[in-house]
Amino acid sequence: MNRASHPVVELRGLSKSFGDTRAVRELNLSIPAGMVYGLIGPNGAGKSTTIKVIMGGLRATSGSVRVAGLDPIADAGKVKPIVGYVPEVHHICRWMRAGEAVRFCRGLYPTWNDSLCDSLLDQFGIERSKKVRHLSKGTLVKLALTLALSHEPELLVMDEPTSGLDPMIREELMDGVLRNMCDGRRTVLFSSHTLSDVQRLADRIGIIGSGELLVDLPVDELLRSTKLVRAVLCDGRLPAACPSGTIFERVDRREWSLTIRDYSPDRLEELRSANPVEHVEVCDLTLEEIFKAYVRGRRATA
Amino acid sequence: MRIDPGSHLPIYLQIVDGVRRDVAADVHRAGEALPSVRALAIDLGVNPNTVQRAYEELEREGLIGARRGLGMFVRADAARAAGVQARTVAEAAFENAARAALASGVKPSRLRKLFVSVLNQPSKGVRTP
Repeated sequence: MNRASHPVVELRGLSKSFGDTRAVRELNLSIPAGMVYGLIGPNGAGKSTTIKVIMGGLRATSGSVRVAGLDPIADAGKVKPIVGYVPEVHHICRWMRAGEAVRFCRGLYPTWNDSLCDSLLDQFGIERSKKVRHLSKGTLVKLALTLALSHEPELLVMDEPTSGLDPMIREELMDGVLRNMCDGRRTVLFSSHTLSDVQRLADRIGIIGSGELLVDLPVDELLRSTKLVRAVLCDGRLPAACPSGTIFERVDRREWSLTIRDYSPDRLEELRSANPVEHVEVCDLTLEEIFKAYVRGRRATA
Repeated sequence: MRIDPGSHLPIYLQIVDGVRRDVAADVHRAGEALPSVRALAIDLGVNPNTVQRAYEELEREGLIGARRGLGMFVRADAARAAGVQARTVAEAAFENAARAALASGVKPSRLRKLFVSVLNQPSKGVRTP
């Protein structure tokens, strides 16, 4: 089958419920070959559930999931060899030595690249003779990344790989991922709470809130098109109507601040014509500010 | 060159600005090769596509040009233009700062003193043309 014609990851109307709880709702996502996709969202927003469904660890309640055009559960035998996975909770056997864990995984993948594996172990300073349960948290993540990359997968999936790591280890891990990205046209999907890492590595960003994909945009476009508008209200007056595209708004004394998506000067006109405002100022936003506005806005309407 | 991954400015634009500044400051001279996309991506810790995009932007502006198989080079005419442009920008920024200081009530004598003290600190990167 010709894989090149498919997006590497494609979700259509994906929903996943646990009992009465809808963890993921009607999610659509398409990641073409070579793209680095960063998924961000507050805890419990549905990031890990989405990733587990893509990895075939959970079955979708409804909707379709395709990895390289294949069903990750029905075609697990074809999907597993082309995917590398760094899960949130590492499942490397704790009683093994690092070198034994490597040999174990090596046997599972026909495309295993010994020299790549050795160079990653050296680069990360992982001692093959050490027991997995004696490894520090940082070294364990580095071992997990080594195991996920050594069979040269088409798709690398990482679920919060840097959470709880110190800045030096985080840098080392990101450097490892980056070098690997540079050397092959690899597709990457990762989730993270470290927004600066997402901004550095991702081509495109998805923001998940309450199980829904609120944003799915190239990083630069998200930064360019989302603006903060600060308006000073006329004495004793309250805002009448938010302009279209308002994600989040707040009134503090006489200051009315609004975060607006797809910003254009038309939005400003809309705001001025419908509201008692004196002075209006438009500001750029950082990814962190945009992220918070989406999450708070989603909570306010939920 | 430094980038701020928490900035509101997209990283590719920060790289564009950084290269422009480096050319104007003689870090990269006319005819010299720029770091490869891979090398700069790893050095800055950013996606190589982002560096590629910055280089494309700089090439479109005419500051740098590709030589087949050898990578990106600073163009001679562009390097001079970048120097002139950077000086114009710096002079405008200086003027604005001085005006703002006067407007907020800093005395001209104090401003003069500050200016002279900056000129007397060559170690802080002040270049004479």
